[in-house]
Amino acid sequence: MRLRQRLRSLAFPLRALLGRDRLERDMDEELRLHLEMQAEHDRGRGLQAADARRAARVRFGSVEAVKEECRQSVGVHFFDTLAQDVRFGLRSLWRTRGFTSAVVLTLGLGIGANTAVFSVVRGTLLRPLPYAHGERMVVVRQGDPAAGVSNLGVSMAEVGDLGARARSFDGVAEYHSMNFILLGGDEPRQVRTGVVSAGFFDRLGVAPQLGRTFRAEDDAHGADAVLVLTHEFWSRAFGRDPGVVGRMFQMNDKPHQVVGVLPPLPQYPDQNDVFMPAAACPFRARAVAAGNRRARMVQAFGRLRPGVAAGEARVELDHVLANFKREHPDSYPAAAQPTGTVEPLADVMVQPARPTLIVLFATVGLVLLIACANVANLTLARLSDRGQEMAVRAALGAGRRRLFRQLMTESLLLGLAGGAVGLAFAAAAQGALTTFAARFTARAAEVQLDGTVLLFALGVSLLTGILFGTLPGLPSSDALARTGGSAARTAGARGGQRTRTALVVSQLALSFTLLIGAALMLRSFAKLQAVHPGFQAENVLSLGLHLNWSTQSPTQFLSVERQAAFHDQLNERIRALPEVSAAGTAWTFPLNTSFRNDGSILIEGQDPAGTLPVAQGMGASEDYFAALGVPLRQGRFFSVADRGDASDAAIVNDRFVERYLPGGEPLGRRISFNRGQTWRTIVGVVGSVRQAELEREPGPAYYVPFRQFPSFSSTLFVRTQTDPLRLADRIQAITGELSTDTAVGPIRTLEQIRGDALAPPRLTTTLLGAFAALALIIAVTGLAGVLAYAVSQRTREIGVRVALGAAPANILSMVLRQGLTSIALGLAIGVAGALGLARLVSRLLFGVAPTDPLCFVGSVLVLGAAGIIACLVPARQAVGIEPMRALRTE
Amino acid sequence: MAKETLDLLQGTLDLLILRTLSAGTLHGWAISQRIQQISEDVLRVNQGSLYPALYRLERAGWIEAEWGASDTQRRVRFYRLTRAGRRRLEQETENWNRLSAAVARILRTA
Repeated sequence: MRLRQRLRSLAFPLRALLGRDRLERDMDEELRLHLEMQAEHDRGRGLQAADARRAARVRFGSVEAVKEECRQSVGVHFFDTLAQDVRFGLRSLWRTRGFTSAVVLTLGLGIGANTAVFSVVRGTLLRPLPYAHGERMVVVRQGDPAAGVSNLGVSMAEVGDLGARARSFDGVAEYHSMNFILLGGDEPRQVRTGVVSAGFFDRLGVAPQLGRTFRAEDDAHGADAVLVLTHEFWSRAFGRDPGVVGRMFQMNDKPHQVVGVLPPLPQYPDQNDVFMPAAACPFRARAVAAGNRRARMVQAFGRLRPGVAAGEARVELDHVLANFKREHPDSYPAAAQPTGTVEPLADVMVQPARPTLIVLFATVGLVLLIACANVANLTLARLSDRGQEMAVRAALGAGRRRLFRQLMTESLLLGLAGGAVGLAFAAAAQGALTTFAARFTARAAEVQLDGTVLLFALGVSLLTGILFGTLPGLPSSDALARTGGSAARTAGARGGQRTRTALVVSQLALSFTLLIGAALMLRSFAKLQAVHPGFQAENVLSLGLHLNWSTQSPTQFLSVERQAAFHDQLNERIRALPEVSAAGTAWTFPLNTSFRNDGSILIEGQDPAGTLPVAQGMGASEDYFAALGVPLRQGRFFSVADRGDASDAAIVNDRFVERYLPGGEPLGRRISFNRGQTWRTIVGVVGSVRQAELEREPGPAYYVPFRQFPSFSSTLFVRTQTDPLRLADRIQAITGELSTDTAVGPIRTLEQIRGDALAPPRLTTTLLGAFAALALIIAVTGLAGVLAYAVSQRTREIGVRVALGAAPANILSMVLRQGLTSIALGLAIGVAGALGLARLVSRLLFGVAPTDPLCFVGSVLVLGAAGIIACLVPARQAVGIEPMRALRTE
Repeated sequence: MAKETLDLLQGTLDLLILRTLSAGTLHGWAISQRIQQISEDVLRVNQGSLYPALYRLERAGWIEAEWGASDTQRRVRFYRLTRAGRRRLEQETENWNRLSAAVARILRTA
């Protein structure tokens, strides 16, 4: 109610202003009528017409005065004054163009940085997922924390049972992603294929852009195979041709019909090109046929029932999983304690981005604060220069509030101008920032300068204007008028000096905090860059190979022997190239963050009922290790003889030996990854390779011969003596000669793969470094400005001192003392601030403590040096003061 | 000192206008006449200050104005009490009664 009244009393003057003419007309008319009626009334009592009119007027008083009062009542004046202030402010800012452009630029940088980062925060962290039921979608995982496995995966049978039993969900969908070959276009095309339950898109609440998504009957056994294209793939491969719906393609030996196209959507966990219903996936079909609950090859997405919290769902999930183990004891290791996690999809999708964005947002916020403090100082200096102007206006009757309002209008104008410049900066930085965010989250595509972001920019601009407009304060208009303006100057000199110093100290403190942050990131990045990934990245080409799932294709890759034969031929042909020193194949490339193949294993002689060792499995050919430069510690690599049923060879990494076979002789020990059904003998120990994140210590791993365990999607590694990329075309040609339906890609060097892994921290470090540098520059120029101002205020005093025999050194130390005091205070406060901020950054750091003394000392030195340089300029100016000239001023 | 008296008068005028309008819609001149009549000419509304008060009350949302035809077929601006205005009137009346009662008590006893 009160709010409505408030709004009304604000809207009323606005309406009155817009209908200004109408207001005047109404008022004229109403008052004229009043006088007329009064006169008529009086005439009725016997007065002459002219007398009656005069009497009415006399009784009424001055019509103009009444009108003026009415206008005030309506509030039109608010806008008149505003227009006046704005006009005056613009003129006054134009007169001091230097000041104005410095302020607008500083604010523009600050507001621009904030707007740009906010647009990313909004697009990724704040916006609801662009699915109708996005807020209820959760990622459901099964893990065994006791055994050190956070994500076991789930099997198809388990997903089905979960959907049927867990009451917290009104649907559980399965998902996995594979590479298949799409035939029927110009050339065989490898397509990343999301394989989902038929209800997947309905549960998400995603409507197709063209055609339809999946129906229940698409998922039935023996149904005609259908495909839904993602918007991105549709654009890239088909130029957004709507005619593609209905087209048939050959895939996995079956005709697949395209039935629909999805709208642009952020995808998780993979960036798929197409989707197919679960029943159409041949790989899955084999596993389902095997009826194996332990074939945990899929992931589960659930939709929470309305009103059910993720925490409640988790409690129920634990219960259901415990039942799974009781009912199917053979589907888990004996000591396993399966437990569930239920995480909102919206959180999971942005998890890797969140800490970085929060740190970045805090950073730009601090930069803006520093900019504000700087502008406040400039405004303060300008204010004391305007003492006379203020005094005249005060003497002419302007109250303190009126003067303050004028100054505030100017500040807001500056803020808005800064905001406009900032928006331009933000728009320019948009592309780069989106690319940056895309390194962390699939939601980066949703980043845009939308209405909310514009409102944010406007809000920040106004807030900034108010902040630096209020900080300097204003002496009372009485004092201004009485002292003829020197009040402003004195205020500027005394009280103002304190304010100035406080502002500069806070600038230094804030910029010190940012320096520490940047230093920590820099050191962390250096550490990360120095990490040995376990392989020699130089001169190695990596090529993704994707075989066709086909029994009819000439190569008929469905048999293990044929796959092995193809790879043998390929490797042989490549090895024959003169530039090639080694060529090997493995399931995937190193530093592949989406590769997870942790599983429980048995070691012969160890208790199968206890907590089982967990290790990552990888199929690798005999030359894989040579191609990657992985050292052999003991025993041998695989050989050509490790094929068919003849070999049970396995290789483990040294982590495996340290963790699970400490002190013993690893060679000859036997391990099993199918709970003792078959055993493999360790024939070699190799160095540990970081297969997933570069940040992560490599865990225990075992290798099996690729020939025995080939994969439809694999990676070929070629070590060369020259630039490896020059061989790419030739290797692709050889692949084409051996198989017409094998897709190759991506083609990258190992150095590029390593570079990609380093790219996110490199970008973050660069950004934080740039902001810290910007903040430092603003802060030290602020310091120099304040000192210079103090020197100019004390020109006479210094002149007297010099005249009385003060040595230049004394003058110098006088100025420096003031500067150094500010720096020391700033450092002291900054250290405290940085310690508080450390927790925020710690999640981004690798191998560096957030309180790393080296970073603190380094930052102190950098800020100290920059500060002292900033002090020297005004100090030299002070030393250069000639007493005679100084005494003659004023 | 003068300002306080003015405030009181201003508040009183507002109260009188609201009370007058609670009986029905009226135009400006009629309001001034009605106040004078009812108070048996004790209170004489300063006609000049009537209009700013009307505009102020309109801005506050307590009364609404609309052009219409008068008894003598003149186009006049009619004022009407809004619901918020009615509530305000009740409040003000109660305040006034309390105030005048208190003042009366003091004058009687002190």
